[in-house]
Amino acid sequence: MTRLRSAATAFRYAVAAGVADYATIYTWRTWCLAWLSRVVCQVAFFALVGRLLHSPAEVRFLLVGNAVAMAALESFFVCASTVWERHTGTLPLLVASPTSIMVAFGGRSVFWMGSGISTASISLFLLAPLFGVHLPATAPFAIPLIAAIAFASYCCALVLAGLVLRAMELRNVAGNVGFLVLTIICGVQVRADYWPRWLQAVADLLPVRHGLAAIRLLLDGGPARAIAREGVLELVVGLGWLAVAVSTFARLAEHGRRTGAIEFGS
Amino acid sequence: MRSAGLIAAAVRFQLVTLRRSPGDLLVLVTTPLLTVTFLAILRGAGRHDVQAYGVLAPGVMALWSIGVLVCGQIIDTERAGGTLELLLASPAATALVVFGRIATVTVCSLLAIAEAWLVALVGFGVLVPVPHPWLFAATLLCGAAATAGWATAMAGTFVLARSTRLFQNAISYPVFVLGGALVPVALLPVGLRWLSRLVYLSWVSQLLRDAVRPAAVAHPLPRLAMVIGLGAVGLGVGLVLVRRVSARVRATGEAGLA
Repeated sequence: MTRLRSAATAFRYAVAAGVADYATIYTWRTWCLAWLSRVVCQVAFFALVGRLLHSPAEVRFLLVGNAVAMAALESFFVCASTVWERHTGTLPLLVASPTSIMVAFGGRSVFWMGSGISTASISLFLLAPLFGVHLPATAPFAIPLIAAIAFASYCCALVLAGLVLRAMELRNVAGNVGFLVLTIICGVQVRADYWPRWLQAVADLLPVRHGLAAIRLLLDGGPARAIAREGVLELVVGLGWLAVAVSTFARLAEHGRRTGAIEFGS
Repeated sequence: MRSAGLIAAAVRFQLVTLRRSPGDLLVLVTTPLLTVTFLAILRGAGRHDVQAYGVLAPGVMALWSIGVLVCGQIIDTERAGGTLELLLASPAATALVVFGRIATVTVCSLLAIAEAWLVALVGFGVLVPVPHPWLFAATLLCGAAATAGWATAMAGTFVLARSTRLFQNAISYPVFVLGGALVPVALLPVGLRWLSRLVYLSWVSQLLRDAVRPAAVAHPLPRLAMVIGLGAVGLGVGLVLVRRVSARVRATGEAGLA
């Protein structure tokens, strides 16, 4: 019980440190003017492709998919912010501390989830009317589903973050490639059944796939049971990736303790 | 002549730097994925007539992204290494040093065009012919020069900014929309269409799209001149900005902190 409490305290401090980090990058004004406007433009960029195709259905598909994917985009920034932590030279201290390093690394980038849920939701509800995409009265229920996507993506990205801690120069490559692969095969840019069956099976194990399907069902007036099923599946996928992330960070710490090379990223 | 020597030295320095920081060419890793994305969208909707757009767009986006990424990295690296003050205080024109370094990486970014062509061919069996190869090549060269010009202008801004990351993140997709990287600016709302005329990338994108169509291209030389002219405006802004910033930081000594 005491261990659990101390882990919770460490997690809270890690979250607070991450939020403080984020506050050094953005103020409310720069977040709105620089970051939010960029995200909105990114979603509009893909929604415009629907216009190029002269298809209102494609405008709707691309707008919803890309707006929701913004929650995953920000979650994948955990690859970069995890490496920032290592750059500050705190990794040996974290490895030596009694609390698992997963608690510290899992908490210090949680702010990306908050930011991602906000930008994804704002993009969806701001751009839908501008592009003539009708949203039903139940559309606000998409927000908890977006949160589920942000959580699952964060857990998946944590695995990548644990891996790039050993090859820090790959932090941006890993985050970008990871996000783009999700958007290609998880039903963001094209319907999942566009790809071969084996790739669809891979997508089923990735974040975004089920959460986005739930949101599309919700916005199309689908049955509540099917929506709930896809939403729960998204959370289950996230928990699965969280278990892999815990093991990845544990191996990193163990390897570092054994070789004494943790300071040098090898 | 002294300027040419300075730029040549900057080019040599950047080539050496690139060997140690391949991350500067991150866009070359994402270009194949973007090509797959665009081709999957366009072909998935059955629009094979516009699939060339999906092959050209990643290259255009890479051109801009690398320019922005590298000019930010240059300033960040100099600032972190404590050499930004020395660079600004040296008798050599800082803007020309930055221009030479950015131009080097921008030319490397043209590899993205070849990458996109290869992905389209190998992944989708799509070979986009280029009926106007000279116009295509001239557009790429002018586009690369204009990118280096505007990246120099941004480098001047980055010297003043506390966080270059913030600007780098902010200006990518707005420019891709206004620059008609994938969707022609004719499909933008009227007000934005006028604004896009001031973005050199919109001229580059449309010229490249025209160069892969068999029909004769209207007014190629004036349009290329617009690309060069807008790029020159960027370089001019960059020179003025860096000169002003240099004068200011020489007086206040606060370049490293900005």
